[in-house]
Amino acid sequence: MRRLAKTVVLTVWLLITLFPLYWIVVTSLKPKAEIFSVPLRYWPANVTFEHYEELFSFADFDVYLLNSLMVSLVSAAIVTVIGVLGGYVLARFSFAGRGAVMMAFLVTQMIPLFIALGPLYLMMSDLDLLNRLAGLMLVYVAMLVPFATIIMRGFYERIPVALEEAAQVDGASRLVAMVRVVIPVMLPGIAATFIFGFVQVWNELFLAITFIDSEDAKTIPVAMNSFITQYDIDWGQMAAATVVSVVPTLVLFAAIRRYIVEGLTAGAVKG
Amino acid sequence: MRAPLLAALAAATLTITACGGSGAGEGKVRLRMIESLTSPDRTKLIKSLIADFEQANPKVEVELISPPLDSADQKITQILQTKKNLDVLEVRDLTAKSFVNNGWLSELPTKDWAGWNGLTELARKKAVEVGGKPYLVPYGFYQRTLFYRTDVGMSAAPKTWQELYEAGKRMSTGGKFGYSFRGGKGGADYAILMISAYNGDTVNPEKSFFLKDKRTIFSTPEAAQALDLFVKIFKEASPPDSVSWGYPEMVQGFTSGITGMLIQDPEVIKTVEESGLKNWSTAPLPKGPTGYAYQPVGYAGWGVTSFTEHKAEAVKLVEFLSDARQSIRFAKDNSLMPISQQAQSDPQFSGGAWKAYLEAQQDPKQVITIRPTDYPGFSQFQVDSDRDTQALITGKKTAAEVLKSWDAFWTDQAKKVS
Amino acid sequence: MTRPAFTPRRAGFIALCLLPGVVFVMLFTYYPMVRGAVIAFQRYNLFDLTSTPFVGLENFRAVLAEDRFWTALRNTGTWVGASLFFQFVLGFGLALILRRNFRGRGLYQAWVFFPWAMSGFLIGLLWRWMFNGQFGVINDLLLKTGIIEEPIGFLASPGWAMTSVIVANVWYGVTFFAIMILAALQGVPRELYEAAGVDGASRLRQFWHVTLPHIRPMLALIVLLRVIWILNFPDLIYSMTGGGPAGSTDIVTTFLIQQVIGGDYGKAGAVGLLVLALLLAFSIFYLNVTRSDETTR
Repeated sequence: MRRLAKTVVLTVWLLITLFPLYWIVVTSLKPKAEIFSVPLRYWPANVTFEHYEELFSFADFDVYLLNSLMVSLVSAAIVTVIGVLGGYVLARFSFAGRGAVMMAFLVTQMIPLFIALGPLYLMMSDLDLLNRLAGLMLVYVAMLVPFATIIMRGFYERIPVALEEAAQVDGASRLVAMVRVVIPVMLPGIAATFIFGFVQVWNELFLAITFIDSEDAKTIPVAMNSFITQYDIDWGQMAAATVVSVVPTLVLFAAIRRYIVEGLTAGAVKG
Repeated sequence: MRAPLLAALAAATLTITACGGSGAGEGKVRLRMIESLTSPDRTKLIKSLIADFEQANPKVEVELISPPLDSADQKITQILQTKKNLDVLEVRDLTAKSFVNNGWLSELPTKDWAGWNGLTELARKKAVEVGGKPYLVPYGFYQRTLFYRTDVGMSAAPKTWQELYEAGKRMSTGGKFGYSFRGGKGGADYAILMISAYNGDTVNPEKSFFLKDKRTIFSTPEAAQALDLFVKIFKEASPPDSVSWGYPEMVQGFTSGITGMLIQDPEVIKTVEESGLKNWSTAPLPKGPTGYAYQPVGYAGWGVTSFTEHKAEAVKLVEFLSDARQSIRFAKDNSLMPISQQAQSDPQFSGGAWKAYLEAQQDPKQVITIRPTDYPGFSQFQVDSDRDTQALITGKKTAAEVLKSWDAFWTDQAKKVS
Repeated sequence: MTRPAFTPRRAGFIALCLLPGVVFVMLFTYYPMVRGAVIAFQRYNLFDLTSTPFVGLENFRAVLAEDRFWTALRNTGTWVGASLFFQFVLGFGLALILRRNFRGRGLYQAWVFFPWAMSGFLIGLLWRWMFNGQFGVINDLLLKTGIIEEPIGFLASPGWAMTSVIVANVWYGVTFFAIMILAALQGVPRELYEAAGVDGASRLRQFWHVTLPHIRPMLALIVLLRVIWILNFPDLIYSMTGGGPAGSTDIVTTFLIQQVIGGDYGKAGAVGLLVLALLLAFSIFYLNVTRSDETTR
């Protein structure tokens, strides 16, 4: 009886979670006329890929996709490295200013990004970094460093210091000990931090629309934002774009699924 | 002080990631151009005009930036503020003043341009309206007109707002509605159309938010009557959804047959024609009780930035776009009122749905106004008034409250200017 | 945890590890934010930059005098409160079910986790489409099941719009909440349960006397982070309703975006600082309350 109730609850929740995804896929496969016809059909009468074709022919979606991948991978990688280093120090040493650094990082999470946008824009312009993926990466790294560092610190604190001390007794320097002994144990945490960074950057909209307006440097959210606010929303194309934009993260999820759940359950709370 | 460190950092990252922006081809001049009133079709059209220009000028490349409509002017201003990387831009009647005041636009050498004398008088007048010098060349004019269905029990177009309300109310049955109401962004424009019409001959067309006696148009009992009717049109003759309708929904409502009447710009003529809708016609704007209708003529045009490094090429592009051939094509495909004298003999701009415009031009009581766009609070008012309008139709504010705050706002503005 | 003592060599190592992060945050977060904060005290309108004098607290006064700001503040309360409540309750339930292993749990977690992979912006769009008054699937389902008789303009009516955005936000946030709570639950040492089990405590009593006290500090932290995050999360509302209709879904951060788009950076800065002050005050208050709870326990 309990089991049954549990199964029912789990199934219902799964349906609720997946239905929107299902609906967006169905919408993306309907011809235009069918999208706007009543009664609604829960599977297209005529399946079409026209919206996907449009996306890649008219809208240069392949360029945006590559840009997004590039920016997300590089920023997430840099952030993870910075987080691995910074988190270690914050977890293992006590020194003057440690509290201040933690505080400074925490406060960034409370400041609305928008008050910084204007000055940041001028600064990026001075540095000639507008409309460049590199500029976007710099800003993203800065945006993600606090969270990544704090989350990594949480992971280190779960690992017994004895582990490193053992290695150091064998004559290895602190850095070597860290790389050889600690990092392997930390892999789930590192993966989680990387994923977190990737997803955040992949989905980031407001910074990107501020700094990017050239076609060749647009990321997916920028492109999608220009779909909606124009005269009318082309729901078919929008649905197709949504599906395409979710795929890479899903693939990444599937690839390191074990680490994500493990890593996030272990680290997120401590953050 | 911070710059060297930052630059070093930036340079380092650039080398690491090796993904700088794209440079122009060998020996080519690259122009950056930004548009404001973006729409997918229009962007395609501009791109094809640019392609023609590039073919005629093989040494020049043009990159077109098309920001989303809602934030386009903010984006343009932001780029202008940095004073680099922009050569040609779309200037609207609403932004011209601010761009000129900040010294972001170059004066165009119209004397050396053969096309200047081919422009209509209105186009030449509007080109120099702000700042007294030609800082832009308009590409077309917008003016509102009434679109109505002739097959839903309406034998003739409503002549007044009262008639529009009555006809709309009759049509609103069984999932159909009378009027494509605008409750979302831009909704206040329609409230102001009605308020001006109700004020009749007391309105000062040169400063259309004010009366000839210097009071605001929002201060009169007629304004209150107008707003009451405005709310009634929404409640009794329009779809409830229209509380948040903006441009696309209004037009879609009309072309899909949900509503029977629509007041919009000429570019809708093309949309309606292409929608396959039959049995429709156009008519001049409805009038107030004393037989007057007021509206501004909207315009936008192309300008050149003051800091461009390729002024000659940028000017050439603006002239190219404004020449009769291109400007007529632009006006036709966009269905705008054209800037070229040649277009006056063009049948496309005098027949069919365009007849309502001619009719309005010949009617002395259909008055063209100038809005006080040069007052410091104008853009603020646009944002505020739209929200007030939505609050009004959803019953969160009364007509009296709305008028009182608008009156106070413009009375205060008048003091700031004089 | 023992932390090694401070030596010059260590100092070098510490600096080396910490510096990159600190430099990034200082340059690209703090510097522009401080500049933005200064602008809050200037008249600074993007469309009129001919003069940008310091005006003291003028922008703050202007913001506080606006009805819309107060409406947005009230809406923020509803938005944060309701989203948090439902995410918490549903997430807790889900976490409790997921706590015991069952066949396919890993896969199940991966699937229900998927909303987290999407952006708030996309989720707003997705639900905007599903809540559409004419062609929306939600209306269709409700009509088909006979719950309603006429389609509802969910996003068009001020009464429904807030409910709609909250539904979307709950959908988005439940799983992440569940995962976080799950992590907390898994941190409860087994021995505690064993001890309680010997005493013959019922499951409910176990939960109440063993589980809850043990995870309370973590729950407190999760909730705080959530509040900050939901409040600083305009993306979903931005793409779903834009704060409308009639400002009924405006929260302080969408209000802030409107100031930025309207070009009034001065006022935007003032709103930003007010939000910061609000969050800081709330955090301090909240941490004090939850901490004193802990000590009296």
